[in-house]
Amino acid sequence: DSSPLQRLPCLDAGHFLHTGSQAPQNLAAHLDNQVPVESPRAVSRTSESDPAKHGEQHEGQHYNIPLQDLKAVFPHGLPPRFVMQVKTFNEACLMVRKPALELLHYLKNTNFAHPAVRYVLYGEKGTGKTLSLCHIIHFCAKQDWLILHIPDAHLWVKNCRNLLQSTYNKQRLDQPLEASIWLKNFKTANERFLSQIKVQEKYVWNKRESTEKGSPLGEVVEQGITRVRNATDAVGIVLKELKRQSSSGIFHLLVAVDGVNALWGRTTLKREDKSPIAPEELALIYNLRKMVKNDWHGGAIVLTLSQTGSVFKPRKAFLPQELLGKEGFDTLDPFIPILVSNYNPKEFESCIQYYLENNWLQHEKAHTEDGKKELLFLSNTNPGQLERLCAYL
Amino acid sequence: MHRFRIPWSLFPVFRHSLRHAGTPRAVLVGSSWPAKMAAPAVKAARAWSGLALGLRNAVLRLPGLTQVRWSRYGPEYKDPHIDKEYYRKPLAELTEEENYERELRKTQLIKAAPATKTCSVFEDPVISKFTNMMMKGGNKVLARSLMTQTLEAVKRKQFEKYHAASAEEQATIERNPYTIFHQALKNCEPVIGLVPILRGGHFYQVPVPLGDRRRRFLAMKWMITECREKKHRRMLMPEKLSHELLEAFHNQGPVIKRKHDMHKMAEANRALAHYRWW
Repeated sequence: DSSPLQRLPCLDAGHFLHTGSQAPQNLAAHLDNQVPVESPRAVSRTSESDPAKHGEQHEGQHYNIPLQDLKAVFPHGLPPRFVMQVKTFNEACLMVRKPALELLHYLKNTNFAHPAVRYVLYGEKGTGKTLSLCHIIHFCAKQDWLILHIPDAHLWVKNCRNLLQSTYNKQRLDQPLEASIWLKNFKTANERFLSQIKVQEKYVWNKRESTEKGSPLGEVVEQGITRVRNATDAVGIVLKELKRQSSSGIFHLLVAVDGVNALWGRTTLKREDKSPIAPEELALIYNLRKMVKNDWHGGAIVLTLSQTGSVFKPRKAFLPQELLGKEGFDTLDPFIPILVSNYNPKEFESCIQYYLENNWLQHEKAHTEDGKKELLFLSNTNPGQLERLCAYL
Repeated sequence: MHRFRIPWSLFPVFRHSLRHAGTPRAVLVGSSWPAKMAAPAVKAARAWSGLALGLRNAVLRLPGLTQVRWSRYGPEYKDPHIDKEYYRKPLAELTEEENYERELRKTQLIKAAPATKTCSVFEDPVISKFTNMMMKGGNKVLARSLMTQTLEAVKRKQFEKYHAASAEEQATIERNPYTIFHQALKNCEPVIGLVPILRGGHFYQVPVPLGDRRRRFLAMKWMITECREKKHRRMLMPEKLSHELLEAFHNQGPVIKRKHDMHKMAEANRALAHYRWW
């Protein structure tokens, strides 16, 4: 029998899937010691929609995020295919997985008096790093932390049309468009904090406009959105103030950066005289690097490496050393690396079950055993690949 | 029997589609309608040549036929069996004939299976054919990705409609992109076609019943041509194709109109039907 499953090491997937679809009661019996309450039918879903209460027993199950929460917490930052899926299904369901559970455990036990700990999610392409980050962000939003979420740092180092010389520092360059877009999304995500936090310095924008000491941070953000020329400086001010005041205890700060390997390395941007621009010459990147240093306390820093949007990095690279380079690794050292890997058989089955419940797998053969085995083989249990395969089946 | 009669005068000038894979087609330069009738003759000639120690030269002796595309396989090569179930049967279950066939195949020469034919459960010959027709310059990767994006687009559009519809309508909305694709192409197939026939120095468009393969080919060809030409420069193929497929599924749209135009022309030229001699 030339079943490809026999060549896969340490996967008893054939046996598992066989029981899984043949008799749901057997599956329930298998999971009975872990999930006494869940009915055997709803293996793929859990009704626990608060990330704080997610534990080992919810591993592999999907939890629902209400759509209003989604708009409020994630104005940016969700992967585009996930956004399409949310639009098609009219619901947002994230799978609870081990790396996210591990991170949640660490975050629940953070000591806010100690310097911020850096957590780095790394893994191969399509394994679920960004969605794990979104899970963490949802948790922190529910816990009322201030979320500083940069959805994709790679967008700041490539394909930028308008680069202005920075008004604050002549050596650096401004990116008005990217900064203003980010400020708009930051405002949507953290409305309630913008009036509570007060700036501790006076900032003069130009001859006519200035922000007085003690005015709310919302004013700085407004200034950045309305005056696009000063948007980058507004971002810099926001980052500086948040870093300074996170130790005061009014709020907890979560710095979440996706694609942090863009901060060190090269950019594809060039000046008018065609000379290349190093990342530290961009004001946004310069300020973000200061944010990612662990010289402040009162929060946590969760980072994700990404090869997909990166520039000048080989396709197969996924380890922190390869993607960050020497400079980045030395700056981030010490950090806690968390590997995000492909689905294990239980998660795979749960994912297929979720798609079947939403009637996403329309092909008749996809419901059969052979179909599932083929999907397992074709996707190699990679979540991203599986999603793309199921999209047209 | 027609397979041995090849009319040498008044045969129609007709661009025979060269998209039939598998059997070798012998083509007369400039005219290829006899090829359809000659193919069985060629096959017969091959069978004879098989007897004559695999000599393929016998075919060339048929008057007026030159082989333009032929397979490098001789007649002794058998087609491969691409079927998991065939090989999964335990030896005890086989009947005598099957056993005999298995033993025989062990000694026979077998052609290599084409790369596009797999034992995947998700394989669909119609989709493969359509993908091949969409392919340009041998770029199968691109053609296949366009096909999968089209199916995904069809699915997503139908899901949107489903969620927006009321409970009664939901039962009528079809969400399977494969059924939509097959039904759309079936709806686009013309029943009757036109063939130019030379009579008295003029070519007349004569209505003619079309075979299965020709109908399927025309449906796919019209669909692809429509999507390539009548779209905005910036619109992508999957979007346009999915739109056209959904319209054809509901018996509307430009491809169905083209089919109806073909039918009307055939109806209008009804009087010329007796020019057809086959």
